[in-house]
Amino acid sequence: MTDLQIYLTIAIFGGVILVIALDVIDMAVAALLGVSLLLALGLLTTDDVVEAAKTAGGPLALLFGGMVVARVLAKTGVFERVGDRFLHATGGSGRRFLLLLVAMVAPVCAFLPNATTVILVAPIIIAVARALKVDFVGPMILTAIVSNSAGMLTLVGDPATFLVGSSVGMSFGQYLRQVSLGGLLAVLAVVPMLPLLMPQIWQKQTALPPQTPPPAIQRKGFVVLALGALAVMVVLFLFGELLPTQIVPPAVAIIGASLALLVIYGVHVEPVDNVLRDVDWKTLVFLGAIFCLVQAFTKTGLLQGLSLQLYAWFGAQFTQVALLLLAGIGVLSSLLANIPVVAASLIMTKGYLVAAEAVPELAMAGGFTDWPAATVPVFIAMMFGATLGGNATLIGASANIVSVGICAAQGERVTFGRFMRYGVPITVVQLALGAAYVLAMVTLSR
Amino acid sequence: MRAVSRRRLAAILILLAGVVLPAAAGEVLDGVKSRGVLRCGVSEGITGFSEKDASGRWRGLDADFCRAVAAAVLGDAERVAFVPLRASARFPALKGRSVDLLARNTTWTFTREVALGLQFPAVLFYDGQAFMVPAGAGIKKATDLSGASVCVEKGTTHEPNMDFYFAARSLSVTPVVIDSAQEVAAAFFAGRCRAYTSDASQLAAARLSAPGGPASVEILPERISKEPLAPVVLNSDREWGTVVRWVLYGLITAEEYGATRDNVDAVVASGRTPLSRLGGDRRALLAQSLGVSPGWVMRAVKAVGNYGEMYERNLGSGGPLAIERGLNRLWSEGGLMYAPPID
Repeated sequence: MTDLQIYLTIAIFGGVILVIALDVIDMAVAALLGVSLLLALGLLTTDDVVEAAKTAGGPLALLFGGMVVARVLAKTGVFERVGDRFLHATGGSGRRFLLLLVAMVAPVCAFLPNATTVILVAPIIIAVARALKVDFVGPMILTAIVSNSAGMLTLVGDPATFLVGSSVGMSFGQYLRQVSLGGLLAVLAVVPMLPLLMPQIWQKQTALPPQTPPPAIQRKGFVVLALGALAVMVVLFLFGELLPTQIVPPAVAIIGASLALLVIYGVHVEPVDNVLRDVDWKTLVFLGAIFCLVQAFTKTGLLQGLSLQLYAWFGAQFTQVALLLLAGIGVLSSLLANIPVVAASLIMTKGYLVAAEAVPELAMAGGFTDWPAATVPVFIAMMFGATLGGNATLIGASANIVSVGICAAQGERVTFGRFMRYGVPITVVQLALGAAYVLAMVTLSR
Repeated sequence: MRAVSRRRLAAILILLAGVVLPAAAGEVLDGVKSRGVLRCGVSEGITGFSEKDASGRWRGLDADFCRAVAAAVLGDAERVAFVPLRASARFPALKGRSVDLLARNTTWTFTREVALGLQFPAVLFYDGQAFMVPAGAGIKKATDLSGASVCVEKGTTHEPNMDFYFAARSLSVTPVVIDSAQEVAAAFFAGRCRAYTSDASQLAAARLSAPGGPASVEILPERISKEPLAPVVLNSDREWGTVVRWVLYGLITAEEYGATRDNVDAVVASGRTPLSRLGGDRRALLAQSLGVSPGWVMRAVKAVGNYGEMYERNLGSGGPLAIERGLNRLWSEGGLMYAPPID
């Protein structure tokens, strides 16, 4: 890219973010206009769009699969039943509702894709919030934030975490020993903030109607088959990559969606067209456009080029670099999809460590795993920044976008600013906790 | 008023589109042209290759090659920003796009090309790793160094080459790994190690600064590795690699057909050499395909001379090192310097 192209790309990208943040025009339209401008100016080529599609394909497939399966399950009445149990488990207490929400979402998202989980639990959350007579927007945003944060619990919990971990050869077990505690602290850090962020819900106490037996299931065969499709999807999410022919999560989502559609078609509950029509296409288009914008931003090479600058500033002070990366990647991940940010940051970080002579030049190649112990906190700091930074804004993570899309479909439009009122304080606290965790790691490893 | 503003906006957008629409060539080439400066990564100071002289001007084979590329692409050999880099910083600088081209005594290896995603367009200098020892120390061949400490620069291919060489003979040495070439030389001259290993050309350069004079040290005759030193570009931009490769091939072709800095115009005009085929209608077509303006070879040769002139001035009899051309002679004279034909 020429210097002029770099300036234009940054200007267009910044303009789109600003237009969305100020709520000037619809966010999907703003993102598409940004992409159109990049295409018209030659800043985004066909190859770039193909690259963006490669990156976006996984998240979009996960969302599409989750949306279809959730839509099919909605017809079974299973959400009402689970929601009813959830509601009565709250005992009419808003505080217990929020705590149960965290307790339910976090473990699920440690293993299942975040956005898919948000889609699947959203009908339950919204139903319970309505029954408790509280606004469901806060709980839905909380669901997205907890799902993102829980991505740090395991190596496979978040694509960005996995990207960093796998690029330094970290095993599932090693991750559990070195990083999971930090992830758990990040999730738990949300809890003491709930009374401050959602005081009305926290203090809410509603008398619940007496629990009545759930209505009889009308089409038992349909329910069994639909739940079977969900079960296949969950099992494949957990074990698909262990099979001789690896089935990655996006492929699992497509398989789940196909099975769910087959059930709908086979049992003649309703036309397949109805299910596909109800897919939240706007969210998918918006996310696709955001990935294209991020591809153009990544192409500027600004991040990758910082490796020598990092060395010039900090020399071999890895702890300082780790903290800077945690904060910097955290901020960037709040505005950009974290996968491309992490991909670009990995080039920068590896280049820095090569320049600092902590590792040989071969470390810049993919597949290098012989990282000295002193460099590991740098990568763990990247994981914190990438995973938790996305909590700050509406566009920081696909789970956030999905959550807001679901709210809009339910008649509650969530602005950029409204999301930030919840997201920014939580992100700041979580990143500070992440920094303390990294510092503790460095201290203990000495 | 609003209509006028819109028209202005449209005009600006069209203008911008004209400015930034991607050219046929690669994006690095576009960046160099747009910037008007070639950012060339060089060493921090290796005599004969890239070193600042007393007046602050970069001298050496690598520095001249950067100028040749700048002359071909930008029409001005002086439009080069030299970026001195330690060995360990060179690839991060290139991968991070802080430089457009590396011309920094870099050995072309399979591992670097494949694993790091780099392109080595062509060999600029055939070198080999050697050992320098104090004269009169009784060390006549490399195997005499068994058990000795050997100073070596960090982040280079020299340490693994040395390990491999001695291990293959069931011998061993103790490497003393030091950050930069200058520090390695200083450590050797200070007596921290029995020998200093590096490319023979680098040893010849370091020898000049030996405290007891060049005669106080000697370079052993063995060459324990192949060190084809080449410019380096990112593999992702093949067009830029093609430009760099053909600038070097142009300089080699010029030597092969007797075109020098002083007579290149006459040689081309004579119509009796392959260089002349870059004239006429095809001249513009080929240059356009390469992404540069016509006359690029002539500009490069006028800026730095042909390959032979460049060699002699920096490494050969015209410079302080006086390294025999050896493998760096033209193919027609028993060397390995060979440029593919233009047609």
